[in-house]
Order: sequence, then C-alpha cells, then structure tokens
Amino acid sequence: MLLTSLQRLLWMLVLVAAQLLVFNHIHLFGYATPLPFVYFLLRFPLNTERWSILLWGFVCGLLTDIISLTPGIGSAAMTMTAFVQPLLLNLMVPKDAVEDFRPGYRTLGFWPYVYYVTQLTFLFTLIYFLLLSFSFHHFLDFIISFVSSWALTLLLCLIFEGFHKKGHE
Amino acid sequence: MRALLDFITKYNHWFLLVVLEGISFVLLFQFNRYHNSVWMTSANSVVGQFYAWENEALRYISLGQVNEDLMQRNLVLEQSNEVLRRRIAELTHDSTQAERKLTDQLQDIRLLHAHVITNSVMHRDNFITIDRGTADSVQAEMGVVCGTGIVGIVYIASAHYAIVQPLLNSGSRISCRLRGSEYFGYLKWDGVDPLYATLDDIPRHARFKVGDTVETSGFSSVFPPGIFVGKVAAIEDSDDGLSYQLKVHLGTDFSRLQDVSVVQQRFQSEIHNLEHQADSIAQL
Repeated sequence: MLLTSLQRLLWMLVLVAAQLLVFNHIHLFGYATPLPFVYFLLRFPLNTERWSILLWGFVCGLLTDIISLTPGIGSAAMTMTAFVQPLLLNLMVPKDAVEDFRPGYRTLGFWPYVYYVTQLTFLFTLIYFLLLSFSFHHFLDFIISFVSSWALTLLLCLIFEGFHKKGHE
Repeated sequence: MRALLDFITKYNHWFLLVVLEGISFVLLFQFNRYHNSVWMTSANSVVGQFYAWENEALRYISLGQVNEDLMQRNLVLEQSNEVLRRRIAELTHDSTQAERKLTDQLQDIRLLHAHVITNSVMHRDNFITIDRGTADSVQAEMGVVCGTGIVGIVYIASAHYAIVQPLLNSGSRISCRLRGSEYFGYLKWDGVDPLYATLDDIPRHARFKVGDTVETSGFSSVFPPGIFVGKVAAIEDSDDGLSYQLKVHLGTDFSRLQDVSVVQQRFQSEIHNLEHQADSIAQL
C-alpha cells in the first residue's frame, strides 16, 4: 500500500516535472500544447478506491497548475477525469478480470486500450481547454488548439504506455 | 441518522468530486484575472435575467388590481351606456313616465367593490360570501354584479360580511328582459350547468333569436335596468306551451368569481318598504 503510494507519488512528480520542463514549452504551430500528465490517471488499477483516485487526480492537477500558473484549470480537469476513469474502465474490462486489473496494451488489447486512452484524453483536454478559453468568442481558435493538443496528448500517452510496457518486460 | 451516514459513505466519491471541483473553481476565479472578469460579466447577465423574471412575476401579481380597476370601469361604462341608450330612446320617441323614472334612478346608483371570500357552484343552492357588510351600508336585497354580468342578491349581511344568493341557487328569481324589446321574464337556474340559466315567461308573440342579449329589466329595486346577464343560447317551449323558455348562456363565470360590486341605490329601501306595504295591503 505504502509502496504503491510512493510509486504513484514518484510517477506524479516525474510527469509534472516533464510537463514543466518540456511540454509546457511546446506550442506546435502556436496552438498545440500537449498535456501528457493525464497519463498519471490512466494507469490506476480497477480496484482503486474512488475517493483515492479523485484525490490523486486533484493533487496532480493542482501541482501542474502551480507550476504552469493556471490555478484551478488542471485540478478541475484532472478531478473530473479521475471521476470518469473507473466508470470507463469498468465498462471495458473483461468479465473474468483480476481485481487489481491494470489497463495497458497487454491486458486490454491494443485497440481497446487506444480507445480507452482516446476517450479519457478527449474528456480531459476538452475540460482543460474549455476552462482555459472560458468563452466561445474565438471558437475556431478554441477548436484548433483543443483538437491539436488532444492529438498530441493522446500520442504521448500511447508512447508512454509503450515504454512502460517495455520497462516491465 | 444511520441511513444518512450510510448514504454519505456509499456515495462519498460524489461528495468528494463536488468538493474538489468546488475548490478548483474557487482557485480558477480567485487567481485568474481573465476568468474572474468573464465570470463577473456572465454572472451579471444572469442576475439581470433574474431581475427581468422577477419584474414579470410582480407585474403578473398586480394584474389582480388592474383587473379590478377595469371591472369598475366596465361597470361605469355599462351604466353610462344605459343612460345614453335611454336618452336616445327619449329623444327619438315620446318616452313614458316609467322610462323617465328609470333614467333618473340610474343616476342614484353607487357601486361598492367587494371581494369574494367563499364561493361554490357545486350545489343546488349555492351561496357566496363577500367581504362587505352593514358597516359599508350593504343590506339584504341589494344586487351584486361583476364586470361580466349580474351575480345575485344579498341575502343576509353582518357587520363586515354578507352572504349573497347567487343566480346559481334554486331560490333565485331575477327579472330580466331581452335587450331592445320590453318582453321580460324571470331568470332561474335549473341546478345543473353553472354556465346556463333559464328565462321563463317570454310570451309567444315576442320576436327574438338565438344570440340576443338578456339584461336586467329594472322592474325591481334590486338591479338597475340594462345590466348584462347573458345571451340566448337556445329557445324552447315552456311546459304548458303558453310561453317560451329561453336557455341563457350566462356572462358571469361563477366558478372564477373574485371581484364583485354591490349595487346601492339611493331610494332602494324606500321602494322596498313601499313594496312591502303594498304586499301587506294585498294580503288583507
């Protein structure tokens, strides 16, 4: 339990640091900014307590908010994503899944996992950019930055999972 | 209490979600100048919308007062209309003494506004209570009207309240006539449909049609002549076949009665006394 928590904390700090040092500086074509720290939430196993994942999500979002000077935006988006993650995972896991089922390419299958990540990153990026722009005065700008950032985030999350799998093997 | 605790435990993640999102939004509005300003303006437009709704609601509530005023106005106009109609009749043909008397009588009418407190249309003998009594010089046998027609006759009056015997009462008989003719009869209610009453004793040689207006005849001291009662809805023969019986669609919707006026005539008690004396002499 303690070990898992320490591992999670470490992961979170790594992802937040990566966000601060690398991804926050990427503005592809002036629009696309990847937000791959959401990957932190994608890895939570099936039997995680709901309150626990909510708190983890909130804290992770809050940390990125503090370093990116976007108070409230990351934490709101991460909390909502943390709320949806168990629901979505429950829908996708096989019936005979083990209790601590951890979503990944191997456990879910390649395409189901891609589907899973696509949905969660969509939700997260959508909330994030909705709160960031907070109006539809520049609707086209909003759509472009949202979609491109989503695509980048999705891609990075899938790559992370690929490395992760390799690391485990 | 235990059930409440169980509920909270079971759905703790929902509460936690709300709390955490709440904190996030507080941070969002507290520390982001842009979001703060957008929030303020959108909040203002929301508040503005609420004010607009409130104003509309208040206007709706005050419609009652507007309605009262209009009803009073309507009654006054109806009275003046009657006076003018009489005046024209006088000028176009030689009027009788009786007509002259009626015209004079009209000028001595005072309308006292009252609210309906209790009302029913369900029984065979319905009664209405109004919030005016002898303190407002309301007395038994006074007529009660509303903006859309006659209502009934004051039955008993206490100091501040009075009970009205409306048209929708088996004991009610009101002298009415067809507008434009002098044929009159008694309006009664058959105890079934609160929208219709029957006008009896219209002679067979009278000429009229469905849709003609029925109004008060003024042959009693209760109602001045010419107050709208309803319209002829159907023409039937009376039981003995000697006269017509008219089904009258009443102008007054008794089921929605709220504001009424008591008709106070200056010489009403005098006329009433005279009639009583005449009755007692006849009985001797």
